Amino acid sequence: MSKALEDILIVDLTTEFWASLGAAMLADFGARVVRIDELPETPRPLARGDDRHPTASWDCLHELANRNKQSLALNLDTDGGRDILRRLVGAADVFITDRPELVLRSKGLDYGALSALRSDIIYAHGTGFGPKGPDRDLPALDELAAARTGMMPILPQPGQPPVFSGSGQMYTTVMLAFGVVTALHHRQATGEGQQVDVSLFAGNMYGASLDVQAFLAMGGERFLHPVSRLDAGNPMSGTMYPSKDGRWVTLTMPDTERWWPAFSELVGIDREDPRFNTHEKRCEENRLEMMQVLEEKFRQQSADHWRAGFNARQLSADVIEDFSYPAGDEQATRNRYVVELEHPHLGAIKTLGFPIFMSDSMAQLRSMAPCVGQHSCDVLRETLGYSADEIDAMKVAGAIA
Amino acid sequence: MAAALEGIRVVDLTVWFQGPVAAQHLADFGAEVIHVERPKGGDQGRGVRSIKALPVGDWNQYFLVINRNKQSMALDLKQQAGREIMYRLVENADVFLSNLGAANLKSWDLTYEKLSAINPRLVYATTTGYGHFGGITKPSFDMTVQALTGLMTRLGEPDQPPIYLGMGSGDAYGGIMAALGIMLALYQRKRTGTGQMVDASLYGAQLFLTAPTLQAYLATGSQAFSRQRSRKAAPNPLWNSYPTKDKWVYLCLPNEDDNWRRLCQSIDDPALAGEARFGTPAGRREYAGALIERLDAALVARGAAEWMKRWTPLGIVASPVNNLADLAEDTQAWENDYFLEAYCEEVQRQVKIRGLPIGLRKTPGKVESLGPELGQHTELILANTLGYSWEQIGEFKEQGVIP
Repeated sequence: MSKALEDILIVDLTTEFWASLGAAMLADFGARVVRIDELPETPRPLARGDDRHPTASWDCLHELANRNKQSLALNLDTDGGRDILRRLVGAADVFITDRPELVLRSKGLDYGALSALRSDIIYAHGTGFGPKGPDRDLPALDELAAARTGMMPILPQPGQPPVFSGSGQMYTTVMLAFGVVTALHHRQATGEGQQVDVSLFAGNMYGASLDVQAFLAMGGERFLHPVSRLDAGNPMSGTMYPSKDGRWVTLTMPDTERWWPAFSELVGIDREDPRFNTHEKRCEENRLEMMQVLEEKFRQQSADHWRAGFNARQLSADVIEDFSYPAGDEQATRNRYVVELEHPHLGAIKTLGFPIFMSDSMAQLRSMAPCVGQHSCDVLRETLGYSADEIDAMKVAGAIA
Repeated sequence: MAAALEGIRVVDLTVWFQGPVAAQHLADFGAEVIHVERPKGGDQGRGVRSIKALPVGDWNQYFLVINRNKQSMALDLKQQAGREIMYRLVENADVFLSNLGAANLKSWDLTYEKLSAINPRLVYATTTGYGHFGGITKPSFDMTVQALTGLMTRLGEPDQPPIYLGMGSGDAYGGIMAALGIMLALYQRKRTGTGQMVDASLYGAQLFLTAPTLQAYLATGSQAFSRQRSRKAAPNPLWNSYPTKDKWVYLCLPNEDDNWRRLCQSIDDPALAGEARFGTPAGRREYAGALIERLDAALVARGAAEWMKRWTPLGIVASPVNNLADLAEDTQAWENDYFLEAYCEEVQRQVKIRGLPIGLRKTPGKVESLGPELGQHTELILANTLGYSWEQIGEFKEQGVIP
């Protein structure tokens, strides 16, 4: 099996989950990613103070975001450490970082400095709010970016607190990886490297693109305040109803004419019911009434009953599940969206797998996330050509660990 | 300035949102993207008339923005002659992208086997609903697939209905995921000379979209990660959302004594600052519920802007929870080109659009045109790109292969 990025060496100076994961996605497809763990103390992801490390012995987010990587532990406050990083950058194709611009400049790790070492370097910088504008130096926190994006107030039902989903950062992860590979493609053709910029703000905005774009074009109060789920624009699309057992069903059948015969039969509404027998009546005149009727109908049977009915009629509708569903779903494992791995201490555990399928160069789990400094000697010896004596001297000087 | 994807030709046989937006990313960076549509009605996205029960207005931004920088070719693939044109197009293309069902592509003989035989260098990309393997044929729309991931059930306050992330939120993620897969395959192709098949499904992408919490659930099986959790039970009260006199604010402070001291200073409440049980990180965690209640009461005293004015000089990290009207005027979005203005032929004026979320400094993305009219470039592509004679093009018209 070939690897899409097998010729690529990436230096990864990231701490936050979303940024580290962007580099991991490239590692999954074969890039050699050397993660820099800074000494004396590697900056930890910004502490939210929540229980993000669910098992004491295994940090599952660190594992996901740093799998397939090597770790080089460096003290960038020593001459030796800085020299090693400069030599590594000289040998690298890509540099990825989420450190603040001011820190990068002060450490001589900005694009100008690194492109002097390697003129065709792809330098990817993930920030909170982009490289320009008054807020370019705000911390790169998904909560801050989400709060600015305008969606949090309208996700819940009326009267409920705003909702932070944590998904905005995930768009940024993939934008980062996409930006890097697009820049690599350009470099392959022209020999030219460049800086790639992505931000959590852009990621959040892009994730909300339809609502954002619709508001820009149309305006309207309905985009500014939560809309009740029983006041949807189309009772059969973008709606959800509780079933008898408390689990919810959701429908997406925007062109209701197409679905009405099978759908009306399933829920037990007369197909010719004069209140609902045209698209206009369903979505305009009697829209609210229809939602009340559906609310009542769906409460009469269990979610499993409805799923069986949806599937039998190939309707565009499903049950709203919790995480136990993908955790046990054969479709998810078969496509390697969820994979099982053998952990050296914990035994068989499940982890998120690979969202992209490539027929000739499948993503691979080659190694677990490294311990701090696990590959320091290998990288120095094999990639940079340091002698054993030089490596020992670096250790004694505290430049590496 | 040069374009990063100059010289890459993409056949974009997609409809609605996820597929078109994947190709939009490539088009923004200079790929030549040909949106192939059925002659009658075209891409279903053209038919969008209302959003949130509001009329879309005089320009259909749903379709025009995600199909910007593209050409449109109207082609009847139900006819053999239409498929022959498609084969010639594929022969001259680098990427074939589709989000039509597998059965549909098979019935039109547009399978990977067929097209890669015509052009071994082709990157054949799909955005299926539920993955390349497994053969699931049920319809897949953004929200019905988001429903399966478990994310919707986890969000919001306990006992409230599930939360949907917003229109097309999962489609958007599947779109950028597919664009990444295509770029990986194109990069590899330059080394190996051969294309391959790529799939980024809506299900696979949306499982990744909820990675931070799904990963924790997979590791532990604990319902602490799969169930709704109230903001009133946030383990760190200093990292939480709070109502103010007007809009909400989101406070992002690690649970450290210094942060607590500065927050108390800004609130100007000596009683709260002096309360011993809140004086340590462990105490603030143990009595989080009580502290959140106290902060709820304290922060409604002023508006969000006033809090920000007090907090910024103190280094207290927070943001007002804005709405879309605030976003539309956010300088930060405009200065970084996350929003742009573009000329819309349909209404003959400048309109505001979603801009360029990914910056490539030497080869920046561009918006040169909004979405094309249905079939606007059909004849030009047939004549110039594929080398058909005007006589042949006339015959295609007569046969109804093209409009």
